[in-house]
Amino acid sequence: MSIRALWIITHEKGEHVSVRFSRRFPTVEYRAKSLAGSSYQAVPEDSAVLQLLLTELGLADPGKPYVAQRDDCLNQQRTPALELHVDSSAKGILWPVLVISRGPLILACLPLVEAGEPRPPLSSLLSVSQGLTLLEGLQSFLGGSEIKTDGDGLAPRLALMPSVLQQVCPLGTPLDVPQARAPSTAGVPAAAGSPRQPAWRTGQHRGRPAVNVALTETVRCMQYGDPSKQDLWDVYGTVTCKCDVEGVLPNVTVTLTLPPNGSPLQDILAHPCVTSLDSSILNASSVDDGDGSAFSGPYKFPFCPPLEPFKLCSYTSQVPVPPILGSYQLKQQQEVNHLRVSVNLKLHESVKNTFEYCEARLPFFNRVQMSIVDVKVSSGHLDVNKEKNLLVWVLGQKFPKSREVTMEGGIRFSGQLPGPVDPLCTDLTAYIKLYFKVPDLTLSGCSVDQHSVQVYSCAKPKIVTCRELQSKEYFIWNSTGPAPVSSGQMIL
Amino acid sequence: VFLTMAVSWVERVASFLRSPSRFLASTTAEVFLVELLREQRDERLTMLSPLCEHPTLLCPSACTGEETCLELMSVFSHCPPKYTEFRCQLLLTLTTVLVSTGCVSAHSHASRDFLELLLKLAQDTYYDPADVPSALRSTRAAACECLRELEACCPSLLSQHLELLNGLRQQENPRHHQALSGLYAVVLRNGVHLLARQAGAGPEGLKALLGGNAAVAWEAEPDSPALTDRAAPLPSVLGPSGLGPTLQTGPDCKELRSVLSSLLEESYLLTPLSQAALLHALTEVVAMVSGVSPAIFKAQLLRLLGTSKVCLFHCTLLMKAAFTDSLFSAEDEAFLLKRLVALCQHPQMSTAAQLFYTDCLVHFPENRPIGAADGGEALPVLLTPRLAASLVPTVFDEPATMLARLNVSALVHLEEHGAREGGAAGGGLAYLWEHLLLRLHVVEHGGDRAAVVTFFRASFLFLCHFGHVERHAADLRRRLCALYLRHCRLAPHVLNLADRAQDGPVRPGWAVALLRSLQGVAVSAGGDLAAVSQKDLHWHLRVLARVAEEGQIGQGSTVDFLFAVATAASPPSRNEDWRLGSDLLAVCRHLLAHPGLDALLCPLADVLQHVARHHGDTDVRDHARLYYSLLTALSREKLAGVLANGGGGANGGRQDNKRVLSAMVVESQDLTSALTIHKARTPVFHLVAKDRAGGWAEPTPAPEDDEPSAGRFAALADVCVPRLFREGASAAPPAVTLTLRPRAPYPGTLRCSAVFTAQDELTWHAALPDVHVAFRQLFKPLPVPASWGPALRLRAFERLWDDLFCGRLGEAELEALLEEHFAPFRVADPGDATGHRVLLFIPPGSHVLLRIRPQEDAVQFHMATDNWRLLPHVNDFLLSVTDWEARNGVDS
Repeated sequence: MSIRALWIITHEKGEHVSVRFSRRFPTVEYRAKSLAGSSYQAVPEDSAVLQLLLTELGLADPGKPYVAQRDDCLNQQRTPALELHVDSSAKGILWPVLVISRGPLILACLPLVEAGEPRPPLSSLLSVSQGLTLLEGLQSFLGGSEIKTDGDGLAPRLALMPSVLQQVCPLGTPLDVPQARAPSTAGVPAAAGSPRQPAWRTGQHRGRPAVNVALTETVRCMQYGDPSKQDLWDVYGTVTCKCDVEGVLPNVTVTLTLPPNGSPLQDILAHPCVTSLDSSILNASSVDDGDGSAFSGPYKFPFCPPLEPFKLCSYTSQVPVPPILGSYQLKQQQEVNHLRVSVNLKLHESVKNTFEYCEARLPFFNRVQMSIVDVKVSSGHLDVNKEKNLLVWVLGQKFPKSREVTMEGGIRFSGQLPGPVDPLCTDLTAYIKLYFKVPDLTLSGCSVDQHSVQVYSCAKPKIVTCRELQSKEYFIWNSTGPAPVSSGQMIL
Repeated sequence: VFLTMAVSWVERVASFLRSPSRFLASTTAEVFLVELLREQRDERLTMLSPLCEHPTLLCPSACTGEETCLELMSVFSHCPPKYTEFRCQLLLTLTTVLVSTGCVSAHSHASRDFLELLLKLAQDTYYDPADVPSALRSTRAAACECLRELEACCPSLLSQHLELLNGLRQQENPRHHQALSGLYAVVLRNGVHLLARQAGAGPEGLKALLGGNAAVAWEAEPDSPALTDRAAPLPSVLGPSGLGPTLQTGPDCKELRSVLSSLLEESYLLTPLSQAALLHALTEVVAMVSGVSPAIFKAQLLRLLGTSKVCLFHCTLLMKAAFTDSLFSAEDEAFLLKRLVALCQHPQMSTAAQLFYTDCLVHFPENRPIGAADGGEALPVLLTPRLAASLVPTVFDEPATMLARLNVSALVHLEEHGAREGGAAGGGLAYLWEHLLLRLHVVEHGGDRAAVVTFFRASFLFLCHFGHVERHAADLRRRLCALYLRHCRLAPHVLNLADRAQDGPVRPGWAVALLRSLQGVAVSAGGDLAAVSQKDLHWHLRVLARVAEEGQIGQGSTVDFLFAVATAASPPSRNEDWRLGSDLLAVCRHLLAHPGLDALLCPLADVLQHVARHHGDTDVRDHARLYYSLLTALSREKLAGVLANGGGGANGGRQDNKRVLSAMVVESQDLTSALTIHKARTPVFHLVAKDRAGGWAEPTPAPEDDEPSAGRFAALADVCVPRLFREGASAAPPAVTLTLRPRAPYPGTLRCSAVFTAQDELTWHAALPDVHVAFRQLFKPLPVPASWGPALRLRAFERLWDDLFCGRLGEAELEALLEEHFAPFRVADPGDATGHRVLLFIPPGSHVLLRIRPQEDAVQFHMATDNWRLLPHVNDFLLSVTDWEARNGVDS
């Protein structure tokens, strides 16, 4: 349940690689040596580890098209744990090196294996999930995915690492993940004699009590406009809370409710601060056909809130229709560089026609720049980006009364410069990607009623709830060209 | 000045941490340690990190470790409490140094004092308002963490203090309960583990353990095994190969149960990471103590099953593995599996977490596992295609996710439809095939390196699972060839796939068929060589070199292609190109070792001769000439051996060997070695005499006369044995017959040596153990014509007898002889006038009897003795006396 060493590495697409921070835990190493016996492999110095890691991650020698050690097809990386071959002998292996890589940041650690030979399965080692949790915590502490290697964010955060680790992982056994922001100034330690305080609630709130509950639903979609291909969409929601309430162990209950005919929330995951869960809440799952019980709420989440904002719970939901139904047709005209475009988007009647924003983007890959865009839209307006390879159809805050918009016209590609390349979108394989956000709406119908939020504390807090729907990976594929199918539903 | 010093120290420490070995090359660990310790007095945090991370480098011996610890403890004692962070770091450093240098023992002052200090700090209820209890802001929490680590490294170090720790844990002031709970759980787990290992331990031992409350620190029990023997860290009890030791207790484990319940009740208050560690430690305890039912965890399960945290859900899976149906009913199992599948693709889970869950899925701890429990991958029985449908790979997946899902989906499909080809009926395989084609499409349309690598890994995985489905296997082969034709630069990937398919679990023959098709693609370029780019030609030759390694593939078209390349007129620059020339020769080299070489002999010789004469590069020409000579001068076997052996100058096909600028040099060295006779240091085999008749069994030497018995035998010709070691150990060793022509009738020694070609195809010379030819082995029947009958043989014997054993003495000479030499020993027998008897007594107890009988013109000596060793001497004596007679003019 401990880790032997930890590394933080930055790179820019495989170039300018450096170990920005590393930490070894010699007491854990002492245990590793004793437990592994003759199969023990010491952790080499950072530069050696870096090289081995880059090879395993496929980032070493970015200029060479093929490197046997790096690109061997036998090297099937199917787990988050890598094997680093320190020397050519069968024993000189560091395993399991956990790696989380996002953007320019690579985080790696080497968990302790509390067993000798033969190598136990990854899934039998608690230190692996501990290591992953720590790495993910460090990643979000360092700025998540929006990190720039030389940017303002990273260096000061890295400078904090020694003292952060002294708190969350002093001797190699992770105790906690670092908080993304410094503990609230309102946090005051509990006095002696009070009830047990959760280790994750590092003080008490002092000040005006308030509870904020935000429900965000995200919809993903793949529409093909092809009867032989099934359209796909899914919805998942997250409830985020910020609770400024007094007390050492305050008790708050948030209840999610569905409309009378709403389909049950599935795959519910709860924050560990939730004190108890009803089994009926957990029953519905997206991966089977669902049982007949059809529990559809209310979903109660009693919890003791941490001081900082947190994700109380998340769920998935199956909704009968996508919010915007679209069709996209590209036709090759006689001239090679001339395409006829026809788009139709229809807002479903159940969806509130008030957007924060809504736009459709039509990228064109593997072609030269657009020269003439002769396209009419029935609503909103069209933009062409500076590089002349993307049409942006800004639909604004509202669909027209008919809830239907169209785009018709022709595009000629005869510019000088080649546009972006996408190996997937060749010829007539093309898509529209929709970006929209609708306030005060959820597709599942799920909502948090302000009055259903119960807070057991002396002062009555101000309670604010809100909800919104946003799109992510909302694709409408051109129905006249081949489109990539991406669902197991096709199998069944 | 202070600032600059501080900055320089920060830099020095950073440089040490970056590469300790390089740093210590410019100074010594000793000096650096002294400097570090001197600087500690200024309470600077940075200065501790070298000791914290590389204690064994700076304190190479237990002795230095001990001294360093004493020094640091004195720093601690002088450090005012307000420097909380520095004090905490000091405690952590002390723990690190003590453990890593192996100082933790009752005999070490430092560790005794330190342990005492830690226990004191852990009990310290001093309340400091500035002391924020988050994780490790306080020295008390740090002390607990140090104690926990010490216990983890030296199990049962604190088992005598369990009651004390339990008391601390339940104190009213609850601010450090996480640290104390974690510490208590580890001590309890180690205590129970060691107890369970002891033979005969039972409820009393457990009771004593829980009630253990020794006076502070070690003096109480300096002989505790943990301290004297330095107990090794304990492995996990929950191994994949079943449970560890168990402690037999009655059903009555009230104390333990109550402790466990209280720990579990408050587990909710711990951070997820600490909670998971606590639950895991308690899982191990319950797994070892038979008297506590796993149902004790029941109350926590729903909370854990619904969690969004990887470590907590994983901890639940580990509980499942430990307790199976004693905690999880069949219904629970189905629920847990469903949950796990959902987590494998839950949009809120990170990629790493999804991958980890997918790995947990193929190692799912079933209540009734059917598959082999060897830690290999196996699908849970309850994982239906319906459930797994959400885990199919998509083109938007990251490479690792895609491979993991491809693997699971393939396993599901095979499980459902069996390994039959007809099983392809399901949509699953069709989907996976489509997916592979989509990946191929991306590669064909300019996908980046990552996309290429991913496609080939996916192809390999697909072949491993569905290589038996001929339809797809053949189609993939065709498509790979088409891909190669369009993108020759992908040759190394295609060849790598072929190699792995050949070595791996893919149906044999697939790789050879692929290579054969690739050969077709490559040689088809020979039609219009001018249109082929230099780079593509290079790849074609690389491919053909690999194809030439396959004995099953005919190489006629390859040689034609080589000839076309060698003789192509345009562009002329090609003729100068060393690289192209050596690629071409690499193919020739493999062809020289090809089993079908006989058919290729003439065309290949043409190619080589052409290159040797006309190529623009000297190295290439020399090289070609060398191959030509080898081809024309060596036997097939020797040639194959020489080439198989002679290293990798041009062996670019399978491994990327380092290319030396002149391949010729490397290869010449290799060839020299292959063509030289090497001296074997030890005898490789020996000759064994088969029977009296004089045949020898066992391997072949070239025997020579040996020095000590030089001249005893006529020289022997070399003996040649074609295959010395036959297949199969039972095969009798070859027998050879040696005809020895002795020059003297004495036993002798044959000195042998052998020249042979071993399996490494090198030629060796080895001295063999000497062969001794015994006296009896020299015996031969009398060489007389075969037509002689018994009568003739008898006569010959009689004649020889007379010739050999009769002294030719007259009566008078005999009398004189007797008188002179035998008078004192004569035994008179007046009744017998025909003979004389002589009795010689030779002290201490031997007798020689002579009966001497005159006959016509000769005298017969009959001799009898009870000691045959005397015979040679008697013989010598008789010879000497008769010689004496001769010298005196007696006719003998």
